[in-house]
Amino acid sequence: MAGESLVPAQAAVPRAQKARLVYAGFGVPFALLVLCFAAWGSAANLTDELVGVFRHIFTMSNFQSALVQFAYYGAYFALAIPAAMINRRFGYKTGVLTGLGLATIGGVLFIPAAEFLAFAPFLVALFVLAAGLSILETSANPFAIAMGPEESATQRLNLAQAFNPVGANIGVMLGAVLILPNLTPEPAKVIMTDGQLRTSQEADLNLVLGPYLGIAAVLALIWALIALRGMTTPAERVQEQGEVRGGVFGRLWRNPHYRYGVAAQFFNVAAQVCVWSFTIQYALDVVGVPTEDAGWYLQASLLLFLVARFVMTYLLGIFRPTLLLFLLAALGVGLSLTAVFAQNMVGLIAVVAISLSLSLMFPTIYGVALQGLGEDTKFGAAGLVMAILGGALLPPIQGLIMDRSGTAAAFIVPAVCLALVAAYALFDLRTKRHGGPLVTEGAH
Amino acid sequence: MRVIKGILALVVAAALVGACGDKQEEVTVGLIVKRNTNPFWVTMKDTAEATADDDDVKLLTAAGTSDVDNASQVAALASMTAKGAKGIMITPADSTAIVPAIEKARQAGVTVIALDTPTEPESAVDALYATDNQQAGELVGRYAKAKAAERAIKPRIAMLDLAPGITSGDLRHQGFLKGFGIEDGSPEIVGSVETRGEAARAEAGLRALLEKDDGINIVYTVNEPAAFGAAQALKAAGISDTDVILVSVDGGCEAVKDGVRPGVIDATAQQYPENMARLGVDALADAARGGRKPAGYKNTGVELITGDAASGVPSKDVAFGVRNCWG
Repeated sequence: MAGESLVPAQAAVPRAQKARLVYAGFGVPFALLVLCFAAWGSAANLTDELVGVFRHIFTMSNFQSALVQFAYYGAYFALAIPAAMINRRFGYKTGVLTGLGLATIGGVLFIPAAEFLAFAPFLVALFVLAAGLSILETSANPFAIAMGPEESATQRLNLAQAFNPVGANIGVMLGAVLILPNLTPEPAKVIMTDGQLRTSQEADLNLVLGPYLGIAAVLALIWALIALRGMTTPAERVQEQGEVRGGVFGRLWRNPHYRYGVAAQFFNVAAQVCVWSFTIQYALDVVGVPTEDAGWYLQASLLLFLVARFVMTYLLGIFRPTLLLFLLAALGVGLSLTAVFAQNMVGLIAVVAISLSLSLMFPTIYGVALQGLGEDTKFGAAGLVMAILGGALLPPIQGLIMDRSGTAAAFIVPAVCLALVAAYALFDLRTKRHGGPLVTEGAH
Repeated sequence: MRVIKGILALVVAAALVGACGDKQEEVTVGLIVKRNTNPFWVTMKDTAEATADDDDVKLLTAAGTSDVDNASQVAALASMTAKGAKGIMITPADSTAIVPAIEKARQAGVTVIALDTPTEPESAVDALYATDNQQAGELVGRYAKAKAAERAIKPRIAMLDLAPGITSGDLRHQGFLKGFGIEDGSPEIVGSVETRGEAARAEAGLRALLEKDDGINIVYTVNEPAAFGAAQALKAAGISDTDVILVSVDGGCEAVKDGVRPGVIDATAQQYPENMARLGVDALADAARGGRKPAGYKNTGVELITGDAASGVPSKDVAFGVRNCWG
């Protein structure tokens, strides 16, 4: 997901003590792995911008262009279980190499896709890229844990994951600097002949090609360096999946905090992907911000998200998490409705500000939903991660509403999503529940 | 580690080579607009500056103090010629009075393109880059006709024109009639009034026409200030937006956001000053570097913008209009 790692990182990792960060000889491998965290952050958020870019290049509907996110997050969802199986059977290094390799192939597939001058081949390339990144992300988190003493695992993982939002911001910046300002101006297309339009499409697709090939090149380099290096950890701990004890599904399903938590996470991820996918379109279509400036509003959203995450971490230590979750979800609903009705710069500022309310949701819902699950925690965590499906399904719906009722009106979709998150928080606040500490999600 | 260092060195070297780019010989080009306060001309100037930056062109700019300030434009032509401009784009404030100054510049070897407004005669310049005003009028005429048919209304048309003898206004008027399939004097037309493109005159003009026939259900306006004036007159007469088809020409941001989006203006034909400036700078830079000299008329494009599309009439939605409006 844009701007954050999705894989539950260290639910059971002990707090770091005075221990070396990585095992001897694992400095470079760990550095390479850190680059992976940045790389998938870049790719995810660059993809948010592609929704608008493809609409421009192929003169397609918002629904069609939102299929970019369907391909991207659909791949993440589809590959989550195969990735876990690869790790379990062949180990994390193989998982990381498989992910890097597949993602590199996805990046390289942008070349033939650009030759076809058609949208569908780009969706295939994006699916492959995201499939690779899904496997990479699933493998890299536990691999980072296995690269050093257990005592410093949290520190190691947090350090690695700190590079994910850095990469996310770089991804948006790549689009804002290299793609958006250089696209063929829309008025110029009004008077172009078919031949000139084709030439302009080629030029614009080449702009898209550059950053993705760059990411593919970095991934290929990391792949080669990891493949050539003996990186079997002294005690590569393929985390015990254990036998799924009978009745786990039933137990999880009968736990309303978990069941509704998965639904809340689905709508939270949906709201996030919807808002970030259509921020640029709101700036362009509703406010009339020039194309070359529109990307910076998405950049501002991510920076706000990043800063707010730290602030929320502090506030979570003071207030009850679901109280904060309720307040911020309600704020998100208000901001989304402001975007629907204001239809000017105030509306755009509201769209950017939704990232403030999104900032604490993923880890908070994660922790609340898994609280007190005991031995069912790992299995339950997988369900929460798979709620990423919301990021695949809701953006096309928002695109459809944009096509029928306008860009601003379509922000009713994140409003509804966030209202459902607020309802989940309210449910938790009003329901007596089991004890047990909140489960933390290391990425956040 | 050596491998990484080697790759990094290659990347840095490639970036440096790329940064050098292929710089072209700098040439000087001028842009003279009517004035710097009207958003239409501001958009034109901003686009010219951005294009000049991309094309390695040194851009000289000048503007008059009003839309009819010919003297400032004459002085600017002489000044730019003296400063070595190889080409000049001009939006004539006075299509006839500017001609001698243009001829002088052309005799000095300067290529001149008229933007938006033609000179009189048109041959006084090398080329004209402008909106096809007749096409703009025709688009809104076709739209009004299709909507009238859709709503099954008997057309009663008010024409809010520019002023007699002004080419752009005349062409839009004729285009509307052609698009609607009528002629001057057709019984559907309640009357025509001169607005000079001003809201107050348009409001007063439509009020007068409504007194003559309160069944007016189609209003053609020559530009968007006139459309807003017409909307005021309709409101004062207690006539709802939905009871009248109000069409206009221009595509400025205020009109698209506050007129077309809420449905006060049903449709407007959007023109593109940025195309005029971009194509003008590109053509003059190319000619100054030995390329083909611009000649003849170039249509800089027009699109119908509406939030309520009419069957059989090509149009773009409001989002497109907002993205590409000027001002």
